[in-house]
Parts: sequence; C-alpha cells; structure tokens
Amino acid sequence: MIAPKHILGNFDEALASLRNNVMMMSSLTERSLDRALEGLFERNDDLCANAIADDEEIDQLEKQIDKDGVDILLRFQPVASDLRRVVSAMKLSSNLERMADQATTIARRARKLNQHPPLAETDLIKPMYEHALSMFKDSVDAYAREDVDLGRSIVPRDDKLDDLNRAASRRLIQRMAEDPEQLRGYLNLIFIGRCLERVGDHATNIAEDAVYAAAAEDIRHQPFVPSA
Amino acid sequence: MVSLLKMPEALPQQLPRQSNPPPNEPEHVAVEISGVDFAYGNQQVLFDVDLDVPPRAVTALIGPSGCGKTTLLRCINRMNDLIDGARITGGSIKIDNVDINTANVDVVDLRRRVGMVFQKSNPFPKSIYENIAYGLRIAGVKKRSRIDEAVEKSLRASALWDEVKDRLEKNAFGLSGGQQQRLCIARALAVEPEVILMDEPCSALDPIATAKIEELIHQLKREYTIIIVTHNMQQAGRVSDRTAFFYLGRLIEFDATEKIFSNPRERQTEDYITGRFG
Repeated sequence: MIAPKHILGNFDEALASLRNNVMMMSSLTERSLDRALEGLFERNDDLCANAIADDEEIDQLEKQIDKDGVDILLRFQPVASDLRRVVSAMKLSSNLERMADQATTIARRARKLNQHPPLAETDLIKPMYEHALSMFKDSVDAYAREDVDLGRSIVPRDDKLDDLNRAASRRLIQRMAEDPEQLRGYLNLIFIGRCLERVGDHATNIAEDAVYAAAAEDIRHQPFVPSA
Repeated sequence: MVSLLKMPEALPQQLPRQSNPPPNEPEHVAVEISGVDFAYGNQQVLFDVDLDVPPRAVTALIGPSGCGKTTLLRCINRMNDLIDGARITGGSIKIDNVDINTANVDVVDLRRRVGMVFQKSNPFPKSIYENIAYGLRIAGVKKRSRIDEAVEKSLRASALWDEVKDRLEKNAFGLSGGQQQRLCIARALAVEPEVILMDEPCSALDPIATAKIEELIHQLKREYTIIIVTHNMQQAGRVSDRTAFFYLGRLIEFDATEKIFSNPRERQTEDYITGRFG
C-alpha cells in the first residue's frame, strides 16, 4: 500500500533522495562485486582495477547518505515508518560500504592470483559467489519493495553460504598440504571465500533492516530453535 | 413557612481520595472514561470514547484541531458545565468508581481534586503568595502557618521556589511567561489534587521555559496523574507514558507512547503523526 504524501513536500523529496542514493549505492556495490569476481574467473586485471576504483564513489555515497539522514532527523524529526526508513537507509549504506570493501579485497587478491598459473580450485568460489550475490540482490529487493516475507527468507540462507565456505576452506587447506608450491594461491582463494562469506553476513543485515523498516520488527539475533 | 429553597436529595458527595495500590496488586485506573458521547447543543463532538487513564503517569491526548481532545479534557473536571448547551449525552467518567456527572457530586470538590492548567498562564492579579494561598482559603484553611507551609511546598514542587522565595509579596504579573505557568501549576498543587489536566501548557512558552515545564511534568508524575493535551508531537513523545490519538471526536488509538510513535496500529494514527494528514 502506497503511503499518502506528507503535507511537507520537501520531506517527501528528502526521503526519496535518501532512498535513491541507497539504491544507487547498492547498484554500484553489485557492479563492483561483479567486476571483482569476473576479474578472478576471467583472469582480467582491468576488471579488478575497475572494482577497486569503484570503491571511492561508494564511500562518498555512504557519507552522503549519512549526512542526508542526519539532516532529515534534524529538520523533520521523523517518527514511525518515516523514522524507520531513515534509520534503515543509514544502516544499509554502512553494510553496502563494507560489501564494497569486500569487493575491493577480492579484486586485490584476484590480481595476485592472475600473476600465476590458473588454479582449478578457483571453481570452488563460483557457487559461493552465486549464492552470496542472490542473497545480496534479494535483500536489496526486500528493502526496495518493503517485502517482509522476502526479507525473512534471506536470514536462514546464510547458513548454506557458511557451509560452502567451510567446505571450500577444507579443500583448499588440503591442497596447500598436497601442493605447497601454490600455497599463496590457495591462501588467496581462502581469503576470497571469507570475503564472500562476509558479503552474505552483510546481505543478512540488510534483510533484517528491510524487515525493520517495513514492519517495525527486529528479527536480529533470534534464539536458535532446533528443528524437531 | 415553606422554604423556597429545594432541599437537595442528598448531600454533595465527596469523592473518595485515591490511594496507592498495595504492592502486589495491579495498578487501578485513575480516571475511567466509558462510552462518553458529548455534544455542544445539537452538535455531537465526542463519540463513544473509552479511555482508562493510568494513575501516576502522564497520558497525552493528541489529534488535529477540532478532534475533541480538549473537550474530553474539560469533561474530566466538568469545566464544560460552564458552557450553555454543552453536556455529556452518554457514557460516564468515573474517578475511583464514582461517576463525576451525578447530581450529588460536589463540583467545587471535584475541581480541587482535578486541577487544571491552561494554554495561557492565568495568574490572579495578586501577589505570588496570594495566588497560591487563594485556593487554600477558599477551601477553608485559615491558619497562616499552614498556608505558609503549603505555599512553599507547592512552589518547591513546581520548581519555582528558588526563583521567587525572596519576592513572594510581588505581583505575579511580574514573572516571566514560563514562571507564570509554573505558578499556575503550583496553584493547582496547593490544594493537593490527584489529577492534573494540562491544556497545551507550553504552547505560549519558549524552548527553555517549555523544557522546565516538561521536566516538572516528569517530576510530578511520581505523585500525580497527569493528562496533557498537546499539538506538539515531540512533546507528547518526550513527556508522556501513554498517548491517545483522537480524530473527528473518536478515540482512534490508545497505547504506550513508544508504540504510538514507533509503530502505531492504526493507519490514521500513522498518517497523523508522520504529517500525512489532510
């Protein structure tokens, strides 16, 4: 249901601008992740360099969203759904900036890997990336559409990403013992896997913030209930 | 000779005084408003209002102009009796289980029990001391030492004592707007009410005087039940424990203030507090 407009037109404009910047930031973050991972899979240093360069714009957007959010709090003293939207936008921007930092780290590691012969184990990263990216896209979608059910569905999906990361790390540690000459390469892949695992954590945070913004419900840190 | 004065059917009923509930018992209701309909002549302005005002807490009444919040406030000490044609047409308002609109309730006693502070401070054209002593004298207190004691106690309770203790004999009009409003609160406190009604008490005050009144409200709720009408949403959020939202004479939502301002149940409440009304 679309909320009616505020009596203060510039309040609507400020909220819309804040939201647009969040959406812009999420698009840039997704592009940065894409470039970093494609740079790894296609052994393309240019893509890696682009991913690293993207970070500056994303950092600036984070600062802009924080500034605009504080400005809205000061000027309009929002309450209820408006307040939740502002708080969520500021929290989202923080998570997006950290995701973009992970993309930068992945791109730097990928450039190091690209200097050596390709490793077959790079394929271990692909399912992790696909899973992390789908969590990320869905979490932003849940925020944009205020879709509480979609937001809730993302949180448990983080477990699978953790499992994939554990399995990949085990395999890579095993390969380090079997093939010590490529030790640095395997280590770089372990770090890339860890970065993607963190992308999943940030996607989970975004999903939780999306649920809070839409339904005023705090679903963070729910107690674990073992299935019967 | 037959007296022309009609004997009352019953002597004016003194309302029982509220008492603190025993430690392990649930808090009782200070003011129980049930199904109240109210009309000015033929125009009904309140419709079936149910509201249980908790004791020793601040309850804020909010809503757009004309929604009936001030009318309801004025019903609680029967201030509307002073307006021709204004009357409760249904329901009841009870204080300690006594319907305040029954004929045998002493209105003077009710208004002593239920004090009121208005939008604009309205001290009497008398000294600071006399402003507070007046209500006590009306209530029959004659002993000077007791009045002195009550004046100091009320001025201390309204956080005004330190500012006026050396000029009690000076005219109250010499005080600032904020001090005059606190004097009016002190005047209400002097007769030891249980409920204090506040009708936009800070609307004519600057932010510093407003902050002092709000801090005073925070202190007073330990001993008094406070019902405040305010158009200032941030003020309602700051000072009240529970908030009631009215629209077109109906109570739309009544809940903990935190709930009302973070996640109200009703769409109309959300639209009003977020400024999407009208």
